[in-house]
Amino acid sequence: MWPENTQVLVVEDDQATARIIKARLEMEGLKVFSAANGVEGLELLHHEAIDLVTTDLMMPAMNGFRLVQEIRDLPPPKGRVPILLISSNQNEQDMIRCLAAGADDYMTKPISASVLVERLWRMHQRTFSAG
Amino acid sequence: MHLPPRLVLQALVWGTIILGGLVTGLILLGAIIQFRRDRQNRYRIARYQAWEPALTDYLFCEEGQPRPFPEVPERDKDIFQIFLSRYHATLAGQEAEALRELYLALGVHHSLPKRLKHRVASVRAQAAMEIEAFRIAECLGEVVPLLNDPVPYVTHLAAKALTHSGDLAYARPVLDWVLGEERYQRERLLRVLEGFGPELLPWLEEHLEPPEAAPKPWILFALLAGSHRHRESEHRLLELLDVPLVDIQASALKALAALADPLTYPRVEPLARHEAWPLRAQAAKALGLIGGPDAIPILIQMTSDPVYEVRRNAAQGMADLGHAGTSALTWLAEDPTADPFARDIAQERLEWADERGHQ
Repeated sequence: MWPENTQVLVVEDDQATARIIKARLEMEGLKVFSAANGVEGLELLHHEAIDLVTTDLMMPAMNGFRLVQEIRDLPPPKGRVPILLISSNQNEQDMIRCLAAGADDYMTKPISASVLVERLWRMHQRTFSAG
Repeated sequence: MHLPPRLVLQALVWGTIILGGLVTGLILLGAIIQFRRDRQNRYRIARYQAWEPALTDYLFCEEGQPRPFPEVPERDKDIFQIFLSRYHATLAGQEAEALRELYLALGVHHSLPKRLKHRVASVRAQAAMEIEAFRIAECLGEVVPLLNDPVPYVTHLAAKALTHSGDLAYARPVLDWVLGEERYQRERLLRVLEGFGPELLPWLEEHLEPPEAAPKPWILFALLAGSHRHRESEHRLLELLDVPLVDIQASALKALAALADPLTYPRVEPLARHEAWPLRAQAAKALGLIGGPDAIPILIQMTSDPVYEVRRNAAQGMADLGHAGTSALTWLAEDPTADPFARDIAQERLEWADERGHQ
């Protein structure tokens, strides 16, 4: 069971995908903020108390890789927010690059929304139960 | 010949009127077409906006509850096909299954045979994509002729529809299509062949001619064995190392590296001294993944290879060996008596790792 007021930032340029992810996460009782690219995502992260981030890799303006780097450059606690990267690209090098940049997990499309929720839950548990 | 000025004037006047009429007509026609397109777009957007919340309600309704979705009128079914296809690349698992059920329940698939033969390429492509996404097995036979379609993206989607079915009855036509493509495209098309799953590998072993007679398909075999990390193909990959064709041997090395079986080390190590540099380069990569600390002496030798790619892979191979390999690289980078090629590549690799905060 998710703690009350858990807030998730979904950064995704494809509106169809974003809507599906948002609907599924809202079903879990999470509050979801949507951004269409990394710049908007970073802006939202500054202004809201975000607990988890999911981001697409390929986006205009600022891609997911840059977004991960920018977030990790922020001071804690915002700089330590768990990040799940979602990409349609199964390139091994990209995965390594993103994980090395500080992403906590990586999923490739097509995704199962239930698996996504489970991974976010695990990430949340790891981060917040570790204190 | 001189025409009377009055006649010339009349011709000019009439010519101007006709031209003006034609231009006005064209402008009007363009405006009408634009107006119709705008109207269609507005209609499509309105439909999408109505279906989007309905789709999320449909996908995420409580388990055991009937899945509601509003009736899609016949005239909207073309738009609905495109609407649904926006989601199939995104969704997997239960949601993908629910999407398929919705697609079948609406009877959109009945028009597939007709659409596969449509004169417009995008319609044929859309039909092939739907067959792949929603696994419409009964239409697969009608997809095969599209492998000869003049439009490349239609053939690509047709091949994907056939491979994603996992039905090896279509392995032969797809393989022939892949082999008929340009070489530079073939490795990219490997992703398409992967759709058949690892079951394709025993099929290939059974159906391909010997590598000496027809080497090209065996390159694909090796690359597929690597990408599926198919351990059962290891014996065949080792046999391919003995085929005296560099492309086959390099592909087999690549696959053996992916399998990372230490027992194959004695077979891979001699190729580090092969006269063909692509083989030395692949061997360097493979040794780093399968060799363990025993591979360090040969990898150090390879860091002074005259070919940059071999030196680079040897340094990478050493880094892949973990602590022992990194220590050897550090020693090489700091040794003033070391071969300059070896020292430079060791420094380059260590700097690269340093920039990324890992080794």
